[in-house]
Amino acid sequence: MYPVRITINGKEFAHEVEARLLLVHYIREKARLTGTHVGCDTGNCGACTILYHGKPIKSCLMLAVQADGAELTTIEGLAGQKGLHPIQESFLDKFGFQCGYCTPGMILSTKALLEKSRDPSEEEIREALEGNLCMCTGYQQIIDAIRDAAVKAARDAAAEKQPVGASAK
Amino acid sequence: MMKLDEIFATRKWVGNPVRRDHDIRFVKGEGEYVDDLPIECTHVAILRSIHAHARLGKVDTSKAEAMPGVLAVLTGEEVARVCKPVPPRAITKPATQYVLASGKVRYVGEPVAAVVAESRYVAEDALEQIEVEYEPLRPVVEIQDALKEDSPLIFEEAGSNILMQDTLQHGDVAKAFREADLTIRESFKMHRYSSTPLENWVIIAKYDKPSDSYTVWANDQQHGRSIVNICNMMGIPNSRFRLIVPDAGGGFGIKLALWPYIVILCLLAKKVDGPIKWVQTRREHLLAGTHAPDCEVEVEFALKKDGKILGLKFKDIDNDGSFIHTAGIYGMIKFATLVGAYGIPATEAEMLSVVTNKGPTVQNRGVGKPTMIFVLERMVDIAAKQLGINPVEIRMRNFVQPQQMPYTTPSGEIYESGDYPECLRRALNLMGYEDYKRKQEEWRKQGRYVGVGMSASIEPGTSNLGYYYTARGTPEYMGNAEGAIVGIDYDGNPNVMIGSVDEGQGHATTIAQVVADMLAIHPDLVTVHTRLDSLVSPFLGHSGCYSNRFNDVDLGAVIMATKKIRDKMLRIAAHALQTEPGDLKLKDGTIYSVSGRGKTIPFKEIAALAYKKVLLLPADEEPGLKEIAYYKSAMAKLPSKTDFNVQITHSNSVHVAAVEVDTETGLVKFLKYVIVHDCGNQLNPGIVEGMVIGSTVHGIGAVLLEEFVYNEDGQLVTTSFMDYMKPVAAGLPHFESGHMVSPCPYTLLGTKSVGEGGAIGSLAAVANAVEDALSPFGVRVKSLPITPEKVVRAVKDTKVI
Repeated sequence: MYPVRITINGKEFAHEVEARLLLVHYIREKARLTGTHVGCDTGNCGACTILYHGKPIKSCLMLAVQADGAELTTIEGLAGQKGLHPIQESFLDKFGFQCGYCTPGMILSTKALLEKSRDPSEEEIREALEGNLCMCTGYQQIIDAIRDAAVKAARDAAAEKQPVGASAK
Repeated sequence: MMKLDEIFATRKWVGNPVRRDHDIRFVKGEGEYVDDLPIECTHVAILRSIHAHARLGKVDTSKAEAMPGVLAVLTGEEVARVCKPVPPRAITKPATQYVLASGKVRYVGEPVAAVVAESRYVAEDALEQIEVEYEPLRPVVEIQDALKEDSPLIFEEAGSNILMQDTLQHGDVAKAFREADLTIRESFKMHRYSSTPLENWVIIAKYDKPSDSYTVWANDQQHGRSIVNICNMMGIPNSRFRLIVPDAGGGFGIKLALWPYIVILCLLAKKVDGPIKWVQTRREHLLAGTHAPDCEVEVEFALKKDGKILGLKFKDIDNDGSFIHTAGIYGMIKFATLVGAYGIPATEAEMLSVVTNKGPTVQNRGVGKPTMIFVLERMVDIAAKQLGINPVEIRMRNFVQPQQMPYTTPSGEIYESGDYPECLRRALNLMGYEDYKRKQEEWRKQGRYVGVGMSASIEPGTSNLGYYYTARGTPEYMGNAEGAIVGIDYDGNPNVMIGSVDEGQGHATTIAQVVADMLAIHPDLVTVHTRLDSLVSPFLGHSGCYSNRFNDVDLGAVIMATKKIRDKMLRIAAHALQTEPGDLKLKDGTIYSVSGRGKTIPFKEIAALAYKKVLLLPADEEPGLKEIAYYKSAMAKLPSKTDFNVQITHSNSVHVAAVEVDTETGLVKFLKYVIVHDCGNQLNPGIVEGMVIGSTVHGIGAVLLEEFVYNEDGQLVTTSFMDYMKPVAAGLPHFESGHMVSPCPYTLLGTKSVGEGGAIGSLAAVANAVEDALSPFGVRVKSLPITPEKVVRAVKDTKVI
């Protein structure tokens, strides 16, 4: 057994784990954060996507011991205390989910994409979702949701840039 | 169809794309799938056959049982002793199969033994310590292997590898072929594929010794039938088996077949203390988690020179692998679309269910209808070419016309409404069909091979469950029905519970829309319990999420129960307001008197009367505000070989695809993809859109990418998503859709089926487009999938895909 300390959504977890324990099983079973899902076991489907130091990774392809000392964000930590993150709102607004099983991974991949590219084209979005399978939607409404999230983020950023007092009361 | 004004008090919500706030948990990672339930479990792993076909000798589990952390082991020998075999639904030959292999293994991946251990990791370790004696037999993999005279028998007791064979004739087939100017005969091969829900099968089982009863949590898709099967096989009363189905991560039919594993888990749970859990791996899912059968189809058209189809002969041989519960049903279900969108007056269909050493089959999205429409729409294109008629024109000449509705097909299927010619016209306009055809020649001169293909299809919904027994005798299930309970809580807000489950289609939101408009309140005030609990949910043998039945029977039950509760509220309100129910209307959570100015009573006060101040109720009124209703489809016919309807509602669509084929690499690229569909009244267009596109992508996966490939030893070589290729976002077209609205006269809300359509119509559209693109090379598409390898080989050499 090996000791690990992993920070997930700002909270530190410490456990003794077997060397072979997958990170996704650590997140689900030790940290009891079940929004991160397992869909394929081989790194193809992206249902287990999390942010590892801010970058999207597939948590079924990493051992828990390899994540010792890491800072992770899972779907449960995306919105913080604020209810819903704007990306989550967009997924609701645009019917960007059906069964919800791929959704946490899709949303975290979207977060990573929008940090890299503020105004992604449909083609860029499609490429960015290469590692995330959705069996329900055919992706189109997910892409609509991601475009919507990008547009809203741009609008919010523009609003923030307005000089103080410029916004009408 | 009832008058919508009689059903609804307001028209604010139904028909609008209401956001799925009832399922907000899914975007927050708070969905509660079986594996997420906070139940401390020990863990199950399953040992599976490494041989496709073998006699099973000794299964020695002693080393595994002695391992630290191992709690219990189950073998097929014990199962055969304590449990009945799997019941067949459609086959007519005897075939005995248990939930764990007994005496013989019949496919790679068949469960041989199961272990419970303290962790899944230890359970997997223990499987390696189980010693199994196999005596390999010659594997029977493909249909033609199974039909050979010297073929080994998969089930010796059947005396044949054909477990069901039936031929049904409707209309004057001999006359059709006698009067034909020409006949065209073709054969096609369909491959094995699956819509593979992203969540695998998961089961938790707990045995309670004092009550000798079982509680199971599972992502079962057709619990009504599963509960009956499980209790019968285990020989226990229904009262000792409780099934709970929380959220499910997609189904597509594939989760109709997990119940045999519930039996395995129950038998194991009885051996240990506390709940046990099995989480299927993706490899297990692809290997043994059921497929759509591969099949060989022969079709013959009797045609007039003008393209009119007089008759159809159809022979369908399904490779049902070796799961005898559902073997044989694909053939019968094809009758729902046997003549497609066409007025073909005479049909002959011969169906064979063949067993082999391939994996189990079950009802994958569309269930045989994708194959039926694929071969029909390929045949129509082939006939058009042979007769020198435009593919649009031949379809127009054969369509069932809107003035013929309701139209009864030769076998008895009733197409209730629709305008098929107009649907095609709209789809072609949206595609810019003429423009593509004009440019096609120009592109060819530049070495670009672009093709446009179309497919007109029928998407049936709500199964009439008696249909597949016509070969077998008296059916155990008939028609289709569902139950619902609607109550008004103490605070005046409604809560709804239905007898069925949701695989991700947003049932809760749609139900909330309907109830909100019936009670004149906001949908957010409607609580909907989509999590099934057999202890309290009003389920029936039909209950489950399949055959696009939700908006017919599920909502039918919800509407009838809501109507009952509304009537009771009106009676109580009339008494309180000293008026007649006919004088009352609903508005914003209150009931008011139309004639009496200002006389109004809030739902909350009605609830107070019903639950608390019962002395103030009308003398003959029962206390409480909760009603149960069951609703059955009135249009299901009794089973009969001469006149039967397989399904109750019939949506229709046209898919048109424009593709470019790279003749060097064999890759098929979409240039444009158009869908025009008619599913009657839409209750939530945002959800409908997702169903239409999502199901189309299932079809595109099947037509271009996905295939369960077996080698000659019967080993499945595509056991992960690395080699069983699913569509990803890149490479798919941006779908352009249009819709028409021909309400169904036989459903309460005028709805028809939504959910399978794209999986049915897309195969032929893409295949016809590819054949059109490759017409300069004389390439013909007679099998699926259209892989790059097959394309290149066909272009360079074989001329046949």
